[in-house]
Amino acid sequence: MKSQINSQISESLSIANALNQAMHQIMQSDPSVIMIGEDLIGENLATGAELGGVFGVSHGLAKAFGRNRVIETPISETAFVGMGIGAAMTGLKPIVEIMFCDFMAVCFDQIINQAAKIRALSGATPDKQIPMPLVIRTTIGAGDGSGAMHSQSLHGLLMQIPGLVIACPSNAGDAAGLLKAAVASEDVVILMEHKGLYETRFPVEASLPIVPLGKGTLVQKGHDITIIALSAMIPLAISAAEALKAEGYTMDVIDPRTVSPLDMDMILNSLHKTGRLIVVDEGAAIAGFADHVIAEVSSRAFDALKCAPRKITPPHCLVPYAPALEAAYLPTQANIIQTVKGMIHES
Amino acid sequence: MKIDELRILLSECFFYRAFEDEISRLAQRGETPGLVHLSRGAEVFEAALMTALDLSVDHMTGSHRSHVLALASGADPVAVAGEILGRNCGLSGGVAGTQHLLSYDTGFLCSNGIVGAQVPIAAGAALSAKINKTGGIGVAVMGDGATNQGAVLETMNMAVSLDLPLFFIVENNGFAQSTTTSNAGGAVSVVARARGFGLVADQTDGSEVRAFYPVLMRLIDYVRSQQKPAFLEVSVPRLGGHYEGDGEIYRTQTPLIDPLDLLSDLADQAEIEGISDIQSMAEHKALSAIQTALKSPKAEPNAKS
Repeated sequence: MKSQINSQISESLSIANALNQAMHQIMQSDPSVIMIGEDLIGENLATGAELGGVFGVSHGLAKAFGRNRVIETPISETAFVGMGIGAAMTGLKPIVEIMFCDFMAVCFDQIINQAAKIRALSGATPDKQIPMPLVIRTTIGAGDGSGAMHSQSLHGLLMQIPGLVIACPSNAGDAAGLLKAAVASEDVVILMEHKGLYETRFPVEASLPIVPLGKGTLVQKGHDITIIALSAMIPLAISAAEALKAEGYTMDVIDPRTVSPLDMDMILNSLHKTGRLIVVDEGAAIAGFADHVIAEVSSRAFDALKCAPRKITPPHCLVPYAPALEAAYLPTQANIIQTVKGMIHES
Repeated sequence: MKIDELRILLSECFFYRAFEDEISRLAQRGETPGLVHLSRGAEVFEAALMTALDLSVDHMTGSHRSHVLALASGADPVAVAGEILGRNCGLSGGVAGTQHLLSYDTGFLCSNGIVGAQVPIAAGAALSAKINKTGGIGVAVMGDGATNQGAVLETMNMAVSLDLPLFFIVENNGFAQSTTTSNAGGAVSVVARARGFGLVADQTDGSEVRAFYPVLMRLIDYVRSQQKPAFLEVSVPRLGGHYEGDGEIYRTQTPLIDPLDLLSDLADQAEIEGISDIQSMAEHKALSAIQTALKSPKAEPNAKS
């Protein structure tokens, strides 16, 4: 959607479908690309039917490219993430799937000490470093009753680690395009896909063009406030912006798409125009993505601010299970509308 | 092992020992930025291991104690010394240091500051060799302490389940830092655990080349030809502390046998001539490499290297 809405749009795809199509294209064009992860195939040995990953992203890939390139692993995240690192150092381009980002907790050493550091440890300057063409795909997000250990959004935790590129797509075209950029990158890229967006259909360009890492996109243009949002918070921010438009307020809604590196130029440019900042994020309430953006803006564009920046995040607690509790945990359209009105009235 | 091979092995081992001895002296003088973990006692096994591998296609990863593995892989000794000393001439310009030696070009992918973390990375090298049909194998060298890490146990199972050409090598020196292997290891021996995962596994004396070399060759040949993982536990003494300067209060007064003495005796018995010349030449080479590294500037922010 957004900037991609143009004459080339010819399809409507879910994120799962777009990623699956992109995977087929990538594996077709580059024989060094492999997939590694749990339940990537899930074949019924009697009927030949397959699961194709718990969200269907890898469906059909084993049949198309063989089990040598679609590697279904034991539940051993440490071992298979490490295997992805070693494979990336020796001529392959692995796409490793970690089913839920919560599971990164069991392989955090391989992610933050190994994957993130080996490239930088290999040479004092970038020209002397070895490539590390490793992609890790994982899911984030609450809203489907999966509870405390299958619902977190840990992009803020990961963005504190140098050596990792972190992307959180909000739509199908960006998911596929960022995946292509990730596979082409010589850095470790972690693609964090929101479970709650998987089945939403988005208009996309049929070719699923590459989306550059580190570049944000202006989803909506306005004057009164800059809203920075990511992933599933983008549809929420858009709906709030639409509702506020009826009351005469307009806003810039920016989707940075990549959390690290972060497109601060785009954010600061908008801030200089609007003077008001809201960050809507499903990640950490403390020292996460939202706090980082607010700290950067406050220290680099303090003069431009008409009032204190605000963040809208879940509270500093685990993701609860019961539907009413989970709904109360998540940011809402009403939170955004109320915050926008409060800021405009105070300045 | 032929006489010529034995002579070369002896020369290499004298070189590695002299290298580590000099690093030890420099560490005592405060010339190393931090603590260093020396490979003394494992030189003979590690030098012989390299002769048994084909590093044009094989890839190896090592533990925090990997100075000699990096050297034996063929890395430039000046660059290895430079890295340990935090100098511009180091393998990574001094940014990585003693525990993170990367010599990608010689097949030594990385050593590691996290015990056992190098093992799944070697599995990746094995996977590449398998998929790209390079004829190579992955080699994971670790200490006995690593055998209690989940990363290692997971990788042992995964290597069997995925049929990876991965060679696990445990150098058992009796200590995980200060904790004895027997105290840490539960009821089952390391090699018995490996067999429990379905690995072809063996155990031998890593101090005695005549004992371990045939076992080593057999297992490497198995991994390469069968494209399946195997496991070898070798006993080697740790001739020194966990790190240089470790008081080793935990060490009992059992005399250690130096594998380099055994190798010298073997060379003597094989009537190799000029052993003392071989030793002095190797020592000269090691000291000269380290002296060259010491002339390189210390790594500085924005230093031109």
